[in-house]
Amino acid sequence: MLGLRDLQAAFAGVVKGEGQPRLEAAVAGDAITAAARLRVYRHHVEHSLVTALAATFSTVQAIVGEDFFRAMAGRYVACDLPRQPVLAEYGAGFPTFIAGYEPAASLPYLTDVARLDWALNFAFHSSPANHLTAADLSSLPAERVAELPLALAPGATVLRSSYPIDRIWRVSQPAAADETVDLGAGGVSLLVLRREDDAAFVGLSEAEGAFLSALERGQTLEGAAVAGFQTGGAFDLSTTFARLLALKAIAASQHHFAERVEKAL
Amino acid sequence: MRAVAGIGLRSPHLAEVAHDRPATGFLEIHAENYLTGSPALRTIERLRGDYEFSLHAVGLSLGSVEGIDDAHLERVAALAERLDPALVSDHLAWSVSGGRYFNDLLPLPYTEEALDVVVGNVQRLQDRLKRQVLVENPSCYLGFIHSTLPEPAFLGELVRRSGCGLLLDVNNIVVTAHNLRLDPMAWLADLPASAIGEYHLAGHAVNDADGEPILIDDHGSRVSEEVWSLFDAVLDRYGPRPTLLEWDTDIPPLGILFEEATRAGRALEVRAGADARAA
Repeated sequence: MLGLRDLQAAFAGVVKGEGQPRLEAAVAGDAITAAARLRVYRHHVEHSLVTALAATFSTVQAIVGEDFFRAMAGRYVACDLPRQPVLAEYGAGFPTFIAGYEPAASLPYLTDVARLDWALNFAFHSSPANHLTAADLSSLPAERVAELPLALAPGATVLRSSYPIDRIWRVSQPAAADETVDLGAGGVSLLVLRREDDAAFVGLSEAEGAFLSALERGQTLEGAAVAGFQTGGAFDLSTTFARLLALKAIAASQHHFAERVEKAL
Repeated sequence: MRAVAGIGLRSPHLAEVAHDRPATGFLEIHAENYLTGSPALRTIERLRGDYEFSLHAVGLSLGSVEGIDDAHLERVAALAERLDPALVSDHLAWSVSGGRYFNDLLPLPYTEEALDVVVGNVQRLQDRLKRQVLVENPSCYLGFIHSTLPEPAFLGELVRRSGCGLLLDVNNIVVTAHNLRLDPMAWLADLPASAIGEYHLAGHAVNDADGEPILIDDHGSRVSEEVWSLFDAVLDRYGPRPTLLEWDTDIPPLGILFEEATRAGRALEVRAGADARAA
C-alpha cells in the first residue's frame, strides 16, 4: 500500500509529467482508466498556472498571441512550479526563462517586456508605505542629507532595456491605437512604481537611471549622485531629487533612517 | 450568519460591487487573492460595513503530509484577523508536496493515516485562528483502491476528532458521485447535521475522458438542474444554511450571479417556511 508521503510525492511527479506506475496502480479505474483520471489533475494544474501567468504577463501574451504564450508558459510551469499559493507572486523566473526559450529568440525584446510586466505586478501587490518628503529633509544640513542611506519605495523597480519597451508596452495594451514601434529607436530606463490605486512606470534619463540604480544598491545620496554624474549626460541632482520626491519614489520611515537622522542631528 | 444566499466576489466584479453596493446575503472571497498589499484589500475592508464576509482559502493544503506551510498560515491568519469574517473555510484536499504548490485540490486516500494528517492540520489551523473552520468536500476525478472509509464517513470522523465544521458543496457531490460511480443520495445520508455551516453551489462542465463523460468542477456555467434538485434534497435533510453561488471561469455579468443566488435564496425560504409551518 502506498503511504501518504509516497503517494503525494508520486502525485507531484505525475503533475510534472512523469510516469508513476505505483500511483497508477493505486487508483481505481474503469471505463475511465486510472491514467486518464490522473491526467485530469495534471491538465488542471498546468492550465490554471498558465492562466495565472497570462494574467501577470498580459503584455507578453498580447505580443506573442495566446497559443504561443500557453505553449511557452506550459514549459515554464513544468520546470518551476510555485513555492507558495499566492498566484500573484508566481512567475518571478519567467522573464529569465523566456530569454532561453528558443522559439521566442526572434523577439529579443520579449524578456525585457516580461520584466516590465513583472515589475508592474510586483508594484501593484506591494504594500503602500510612507515615502520620503522634502519636509523630512528640511531640518538636516545638506552634508548630513548627502550621507543618508536612501532606498527606493517598497514595490519600486528600476528597469533598463536596449529596446523601447515603454512604447512596446503601450501599443500592446487592449485599448491601444494601431501603431508601430521602431525597435531601433534606442533603449530606455524606467522607474516602475506603486501608486494609490494601481502601478505605473515613468521614463528616466540615463543619468537618473544610474542615480536610482545606485540607491537601489544601497548607496548614499552622495554616492548615487556620483553615479549619475558619471554617465556623462546632463545630470541635475536637485531637479532629479525633487522629481523623485514628487513621484513618491523614495522610501521613508525606515528604522535605520530614523536613527541616522537622530545621530545627524 | 443567517441562512441566506450570497455570491463569490471575484476581481472582475470588485469595482462594480464597491460602487453599487447591490443587496446580497453575504460575500465570499478567496483568501489567497488578498494576501498581498494590492489596493483590492482596501476595497474589501471598505465593503465590510455593508456586507458579511466568508473567507474561503484554497491553498492551506489541509491534506498535506508535510503539514501546513508556516508562512502561508501566518498570512491567512493575519487576513482573518483584519477582516474578522463570519465564516472561514478550506478543502478536504492537498496541494503542496516537496515545498511546491500545485494550485489544484488534489485527492486524498480516505485512510486512517490520511485522517490523522488532516485532523492534525485542521487542529493547527483552528488553534492559530482561534476559531472553528469549515472543511469542504472536494470534487474528485479518482478514488484510491486502498481507501478504507467512504468520503462522508471520513468527513464525519474529521468533524468528531477536530471539532471543525463542514462546508457542503452540492455541485462537488454531483461531480464526485458521477465520476466515482456513487449514489449522491447515499453520499448525503449520514453527515453530522449540526456541523454543516455553509453550502456551495456552482456549475460544472462535461468533458470526455477515454470516450466517457467526466464531470469537471470548473465553476464556469449556471448551476445544473441536477445540482438544484440535489440542493432541494440537502435542504430537506439538513435544513437551510448560508449558501454561496460560485463562478470562477468565464465569469458573466454580475446580474447572472444574482439570478442564480436569488434562486438559491428562494429555495432556502421555501424550506424555512415549511419548517416554520411544521413547528
